[in-house]
Amino acid sequence: MVKGALLKKSLRDMRRSKAQFISIFIMAALAVSIMTGLDSIWFTVQNHADAMYRATNLSDLWVTVQNPSEQELWGIRRIDGVTQVEKRFSIDADTDLPGNPTLHVYALDDRSTLDQPELQGGRFHKSSGGAVLDSAFAKAHGLKIGDRISVKLNGVWLRLPIDGLALSSEQVFSLKNSATVSPDPAAYGFVVIRAGVLESVYGQKAFNQISVKTRPGADLTQVEKKAEAVIGDGLIGMTLQKDSSSVSSVDSRVQQIRTLSVVFPLLFFLITALITQSTMTRLVENQRGQIGILKALGYSKRSILWHYTSYGVIVGVLGALAGLAAGPNIFGRFLVPRMKLTFADYRVNINFGHFAAAFLLILLCTGGVSFYACWKLQGDAPAVLLRDKPPKKGRHIFLESIPSLWQKMKFSSKLIARNTLKNKSRIIMSTIGVMGCTGAIIAALSIRSMLSGLNEQMYETTFVYDQKIILDTAKADSRYLSNLGLDGVTQQMEESAVEVICPNGERKMEPITITSKESPLIHMQDVAGDPVSLPENGALMTRKLCETLGVEPGDTIRIKRTDKGYLSVPILQTAYFASGQGIYMTDAYWKSLGETFQPTALLVKWNGAPDQRFLSSDAVADAATRESQQSGLSSSTQVVNLSVMMMIVMGASLAFVVLYNTSILNFAERVRDLATLRVLGFHHREIRNLVLVENYFSVLLGMLAGIPVGRYMSWLIASKMGEQMDLLGNVTAPDVLAAGAMTLCFAWIVNNVVARKMKQIDMLEALKSVE
Amino acid sequence: MDFITFENVEREYHVGDNIIKAVDGVSFKLEQGTFNVILGQSGAGKTTMLNMLGGMDSPTAGRIAVNGKEVSGMSERELTDYRRTEIGFVFQFYNLVPNLTALENVQLAEEICKDPLDAKEMLERVGLGERMDNFPSQMSGGEQQRVSIARALAKNPQIVLCDEPTGALDSETGRKVLRLIRGVANDLGKTVIIVTHNAPIAEMAQTVLHMRDGKIAQMEFHEHPKSVEEIVW
Repeated sequence: MVKGALLKKSLRDMRRSKAQFISIFIMAALAVSIMTGLDSIWFTVQNHADAMYRATNLSDLWVTVQNPSEQELWGIRRIDGVTQVEKRFSIDADTDLPGNPTLHVYALDDRSTLDQPELQGGRFHKSSGGAVLDSAFAKAHGLKIGDRISVKLNGVWLRLPIDGLALSSEQVFSLKNSATVSPDPAAYGFVVIRAGVLESVYGQKAFNQISVKTRPGADLTQVEKKAEAVIGDGLIGMTLQKDSSSVSSVDSRVQQIRTLSVVFPLLFFLITALITQSTMTRLVENQRGQIGILKALGYSKRSILWHYTSYGVIVGVLGALAGLAAGPNIFGRFLVPRMKLTFADYRVNINFGHFAAAFLLILLCTGGVSFYACWKLQGDAPAVLLRDKPPKKGRHIFLESIPSLWQKMKFSSKLIARNTLKNKSRIIMSTIGVMGCTGAIIAALSIRSMLSGLNEQMYETTFVYDQKIILDTAKADSRYLSNLGLDGVTQQMEESAVEVICPNGERKMEPITITSKESPLIHMQDVAGDPVSLPENGALMTRKLCETLGVEPGDTIRIKRTDKGYLSVPILQTAYFASGQGIYMTDAYWKSLGETFQPTALLVKWNGAPDQRFLSSDAVADAATRESQQSGLSSSTQVVNLSVMMMIVMGASLAFVVLYNTSILNFAERVRDLATLRVLGFHHREIRNLVLVENYFSVLLGMLAGIPVGRYMSWLIASKMGEQMDLLGNVTAPDVLAAGAMTLCFAWIVNNVVARKMKQIDMLEALKSVE
Repeated sequence: MDFITFENVEREYHVGDNIIKAVDGVSFKLEQGTFNVILGQSGAGKTTMLNMLGGMDSPTAGRIAVNGKEVSGMSERELTDYRRTEIGFVFQFYNLVPNLTALENVQLAEEICKDPLDAKEMLERVGLGERMDNFPSQMSGGEQQRVSIARALAKNPQIVLCDEPTGALDSETGRKVLRLIRGVANDLGKTVIIVTHNAPIAEMAQTVLHMRDGKIAQMEFHEHPKSVEEIVW
């Protein structure tokens, strides 16, 4: 059994260098699991979302207009590319449940087929007085089919029987408004009813939106333009599917992970290839004679090549299988349900194309590299191979051309310098490993500090109120507000969402806030932290929104006003808001445009205890403390903390495997030289330094190289956080130092492990064995 | 006074379940500044003796004393210091550090010894003044062995131990190397012990220990040892 003998040989060889082969295995498994794991996350989310959008027949465009007429509906229906139009009613409503959660009410016509709820139980009857409730919301409040839910619309309480529980394509990532960062099913959900129910509130069926479905591939910009012409002044705004809150949040998460799934695993594939290269080169070098014997025995070149290639292939296949099994299970199963996306289930979908790609890639990094490593040797004649291998060459290095430096160096430093510079691939390998480790830790730490900095920037520096009070505009007119006599500092604001048309033609619904010039409770700043005030003859747009819309200070945007055409507003100022982007202007400027200032919210900083009499008055629709807003933001960062931990663990394992490997290689290659030194009377510690100082050298290089890598990674992650968040992606010195300290600590641990292993080997034995 | 003393020295190795006595009750004394040869077939225990004398191995029984110091019973650390200051080694395969030039290989000694000799001067003495900046891979076997001798002597040790120093060399080069060892060691007053299986070399020694099966079969003293030129092999 020729093959059996060679197979036995390869298994025994692998057992002898088990540390190296285990390292290759671990790296291969990590590379494949990270690649397929991250891949499975975005693939799963994308698939679940797409399936849901299809199943619920999600519209491509929503045109918001007060009471659309049949003519307007027909006008839009006739636009080229439009296949279906429907009217619906869409509004936020209060409930009487504990914690005063908000429900978004969608009222659909009896015959409607667009934007349907995806039922999880019960029925959505035609022409019924019942409701289909958000299943996540129902779960958070312990509501079942058959219970009743009350919502307040136009001041009237509606008590609706719950006929069914459902999900909504528009609420997969369900945020109440731009100020909320993380979905909270207990505080916000949706309910779908039939339009007929509204008759008891408005005296008739009420509608405020036209849902538009278009042909795949239709030019949506043209559709928007024509729809605007059809509706004219009555238009409040238009939202494309991709810009709608939930769809765009899901998209940006998919993009975020997709980017990582390309960048991150690359490092691990590279390390796998490098470790395989150094291990196999050494193994093949050491087996020179054996290759000669095999050739002399009559083995063909092919079978010898295959024999050594099989080392890499075996480890690569095993690593890939482990990675394929672990990746989607660990990353997908664990992280997808924690992304706060509401799907019917979180079954992990696997992108088999990428599965195969990961598999082939790792085979290339292990089998391919092994093949290459023994390619050179197998060409020699058996007689050449059986002879002793030519002695290792010493070479002069560039440092020697600086005699003043070289002559001052101690011999051990010279030895370390020559040895290090001679084995560039080893240095490159450990430098890349350490670079990846430091980079990952810097990115992880700075993402964490960015998010805590975001909290601080928003709720400690910018917002300084105690409470934000949402006013019932029907009860709280300006006369009422001017006679409140509250004991504290107050600031009135009018908040709404308007359609903004940018100079480049881009149009989007964006929040606009009108408030007093002084702004005592909102302290706006620029990126540098210097105070910024509202301009008198124009508007302020937050920095990230400028970026998103492609607007620069000095540009003039147009704001759609219902029944009044457009207002031209110059953007004169920007401010840095870490979260919650929008447009701000003064009440005086707003009035100068011919508009009225109708406050919808009141910010209060109390001098003493909050005025309970005022808070429980009819004029107050809702009140939130700054602390509760702040803690809402903090809870959303828990997922981040988890990924921070994962990144640190991955960085650490990278550093461990790579440094351990290179040290062992370095040691094993030179065991005879070191044994000689030992015999000459060098102490264990001195010998140890000859091997391990090199590690600190590559650790230092790797750490330096890791800083830009970490900066790039944190910038990449920060920029993919979504349109609402404006993270600067800055890397601070304390984070860099902490990452450096952690990396050094890992290197120190590895060095001690290797030193212990070095002590175990009897070097005198190694010296004798040659004779 | 006796410089090197072996008293009933034994060295056992456990190989599987078997106990092999590599050195079995050896006793002898050597004087300072002498040129000595341990002669024997392979497996006779001569390298084990050299290893124990050089502090690379410890006896399982018996006593070894060098220059009044008990070598048997030294700790690992003490043995390292002993090798560092008292012993110079010349190996069969030279064992130069490939990454260091000839000069740097000799300078190794300066780094670790209290009282080293000048590295350049030592290289000149072994006739390699012109090749100091060459790496071992650029030198012939004889040249490498000469560097190795310079390295051993530059440490300024009391004892120079040579394990088959001519084993890998042709006879002409071997002769040169031996002449060098004897010449330089003589000038510096070092005690030299050469281990070899090559019987003619023994004729140039003052004391010859014939080893067989771990025991000293015969001790031979030469009042007038032959010069290298007189030896034929």
